Amino acid sequence: MKNIEELSKELGYSVFSMEEAGAIILDGYTSDLLSDVMGNASEDCALITIQAHKNTVAVASLIGIRAIILCNGRTPASDMVEAAAREKIALLGTEENQFTVSFRLAQALGKV
Amino acid sequence: MSRICIDLHNHSCLSPCGSDHLLPAILAVEAADCGIDILALTDHNSCRNLPAFAEACEIVGITGVFGLEVTTLEEIHVLTLFEKLEDALAFGSWIESILPKVPNAARLFGNQLICDVSGTVIGESELFLYGPAEITFDDLIYKTIGAGGLGIPAHIDRPANSVTANLGFLPDLPYSAVESIAIPPIVDTRLYPVTQGSDAHYIEHIGRRRCFIESEVTGFSALRDAFVHSKITYLGHSSEHF
Repeated sequence: MKNIEELSKELGYSVFSMEEAGAIILDGYTSDLLSDVMGNASEDCALITIQAHKNTVAVASLIGIRAIILCNGRTPASDMVEAAAREKIALLGTEENQFTVSFRLAQALGKV
Repeated sequence: MSRICIDLHNHSCLSPCGSDHLLPAILAVEAADCGIDILALTDHNSCRNLPAFAEACEIVGITGVFGLEVTTLEEIHVLTLFEKLEDALAFGSWIESILPKVPNAARLFGNQLICDVSGTVIGESELFLYGPAEITFDDLIYKTIGAGGLGIPAHIDRPANSVTANLGFLPDLPYSAVESIAIPPIVDTRLYPVTQGSDAHYIEHIGRRRCFIESEVTGFSALRDAFVHSKITYLGHSSEHF
């Protein structure tokens, strides 16, 4: 089991917000359709996506997602960073694409 | 030939992301003050504030256009606009019936207030209105046109919830027009007529973007006429095809 701080350091991702560094991540979910995230993602996972806007945080909070990893160098709007801090959801970013992040996160979590 | 100021994209307190203060009547009054002649209310996937909006437009003496901003299965936003309130209500009820059966989480997404023309809250939409509706982008355009409405892909230059962002291109479909935030548009509009609308979510957004049409006719017919003949101009820009 790894927490958000350990994962962000291990994977080398930048941090836009991390209010609860010790929150444990159990799984990952990769999707760019928020309706799909709402229907299928599970709590305590990290969401891997390119949707860099505050609705992503609202959906994540609804489900209990603990971290959002923005791919392809997408940078969050300031209201997304504020919402993430308020909802205590970690907001990370990387130049890597969703495929690479999914693989590396799965590896870090011991799933592959 | 008269020059008519139009703004075809606005929300009210019914949209979860719309301010609770943005009452349908305030939208109509403030827009009329801004000089807008033809004004649409286009809440997300619901038409429940259109009756109050219709009444308000009649009182302030502007042409109300009755619409929704529908979220398609691909999470693309499309403006669907109708001349007659009852047509919009029928279309809106159908859209609501094909939304996911998910309750709104008001703390996270915002309130969805239904109100009358005086601004009294008469109800709240319990269904989460952000969508998506169970209909594809292509089908929605055809259904809208088939129901006698105007179908306009919204903010096609936005990085989220736009046809350009979510599909990667603008499919060849019988759009009435396409809406762009930036003028001239920063994406290829493929010679479709281009509109600019406020997409107001707060009172201070009302009238922030609008465009002008020229037509021999008035009211909703003027929109069709101007789109067919591409007679649209923009603040600070001359008439041109993009």
